Amino acid sequence: MSGWHFRLRQMPALRVDLRGIVPVALAQLSAAQVGQLPVGHGNEMLALAELFDITPGEEGVLHFEGNLERFDRIGWQMDGGRIRVDGHAGHYAGGCMRGGELRIEGRAGLLAACEMAGGMLTVAGDVGDFAASTLPGSMDGMRGGTFVVHGNAGERFGDRMRRGTALVHGGTGAFLGSRMVAGTIAVGGHVGAHAGYGMRRGSIVFAEAGAALPEGLRTALTFVPNRAATPVFWALLARDLARHGGLFSGLPARRIERHLGDLSADGKGELLICL
Amino acid sequence: MTAAPPLQRNGVVVDETFAEAFPMKATRIVITAHTLEWARHAAVSATGFATSVIACGCEAGIERELSPSETPDGRPGVSVLMFSMSGKELGKQLERRVGQCVLTCPTTAVFAGLPRHAGSDVAALGKNLRFFGDGWQISKVIDGVRYWRVPVMDGEFVAQEDTPVVKAVGGGNLLLLARDTDGALAASEAAVAAMKRLPNVVMPFPGGVVRSGSKVGSRYANLNASTNDAFCPSLVGLVAHSELAGRGAASTEEIGCVMEIVIDGLTEADVAAAMRVGMEAAIAIGPAGGLLRISAGNYGGKLGPFHFHLHKLLGAGDSP
Repeated sequence: MSGWHFRLRQMPALRVDLRGIVPVALAQLSAAQVGQLPVGHGNEMLALAELFDITPGEEGVLHFEGNLERFDRIGWQMDGGRIRVDGHAGHYAGGCMRGGELRIEGRAGLLAACEMAGGMLTVAGDVGDFAASTLPGSMDGMRGGTFVVHGNAGERFGDRMRRGTALVHGGTGAFLGSRMVAGTIAVGGHVGAHAGYGMRRGSIVFAEAGAALPEGLRTALTFVPNRAATPVFWALLARDLARHGGLFSGLPARRIERHLGDLSADGKGELLICL
Repeated sequence: MTAAPPLQRNGVVVDETFAEAFPMKATRIVITAHTLEWARHAAVSATGFATSVIACGCEAGIERELSPSETPDGRPGVSVLMFSMSGKELGKQLERRVGQCVLTCPTTAVFAGLPRHAGSDVAALGKNLRFFGDGWQISKVIDGVRYWRVPVMDGEFVAQEDTPVVKAVGGGNLLLLARDTDGALAASEAAVAAMKRLPNVVMPFPGGVVRSGSKVGSRYANLNASTNDAFCPSLVGLVAHSELAGRGAASTEEIGCVMEIVIDGLTEADVAAAMRVGMEAAIAIGPAGGLLRISAGNYGGKLGPFHFHLHKLLGAGDSP
């Protein structure tokens, strides 16, 4: 499998759709063939070589260099190999990805990791609203893999999330894990109002030292404090989250307070507050 | 059995024969609990009445105790090996035993003890036991492994979804022929203690020792095993063929008690290693402690493909 280095020539005038530019699809192509691959630019198609200087790169890796915040669907449906973006990414980064590794050194736009089903997506900066959630009209959000955000996340993070692990080292906006079906979300920073709104199952971990329940939840009648000890489950989960470092590395040594809910939607979800 | 010139070690005669073992299916589970004592309670119960597949469905035993640093949840634990003649039977026994003896035991949790892709087959661990939760059970996938959390009265019972099943070896054995009961027990206990220090093996019988060594078949049609009359001191002179008489060796004439140690292991090498250290420990007891001879049980090579030759295990050719 060959690898390629893409250096952005200049910021495009309109948004560019990079779907299809994934390691497996480019594995057997020559430099000329890669340069001729069509990508959407507004309502027309451009050859990839018109946007990037393309040179051979590390085996199995697509390495993008430049500010790609107008480039959407980076790593869309990728199922193997590695993509690295040395800069920002546009909307839908890692959307529907099924395997492989996507690393974005800057920030990502809206709907990052939406309907992600496998693989590893890392965003060094912030992500916009609806990360790890559904595509508009779909029933299930993120459904597998691991999604790590080192910055902050916008609103509706993990909406309708069904499986997988999503970590935010920073804070998140309102409606974190709303309508969550299952899976794990862990947040290191401050969380906006209405966390766990309508969640059916799944776990949301609040790792901030001395974190209190998110705004509004203390008085929410649809979550109930739980008195039973769950040391085994917590040991398994905390050890797994600790691999991601930062604030999460100390979780195995900390105790938790559980709140169960949302009682309006089955009530088998849990909010875990690290003491 | 043969009457070849005897090999002697520390005055103990070692027969030129082999233990005949057969293929089994096995798994390892790790039982953890709030304290080691409760993990032991669960493991002892789960491995109870699991001595021989002749009538127990499976053979199982405690492999060793685990420190908190060795278990998935950081609590003290016990590793258990379970063997059966088929993967299907193993799965059935596992579900019953974990359901009745681990799920019920205070504070326990249960995990697969073999690497995720150790075998091509798996047996259910928490997969079916979860229904005990009556709808309140929840699953959790952590690092690609599914666990089930079943609400119970002390909190929740956590069980990994399934456990790999691997090919294994059952029926490795040693026969320790001693002057009397004290000598046979001393040699057996020393051998079992030495074997227990090795990984991947269990001695499933009570204390690791069998006094009812069996032969295949019976004069009664409904029995598929019966007493090993050739090694029964009480039948010398009565049975047509006794391994304890007619050899002309003084030591053979003195044998008054025979014990067997049965070894199940994950691989042929594991069983061989256990038999070797077991023999060495028994030989160290020697005639002074009452042990006179070591032999092994085989069925002429018809029972299974694994043959553990005692002389080879001891490095035949070495002088005593």
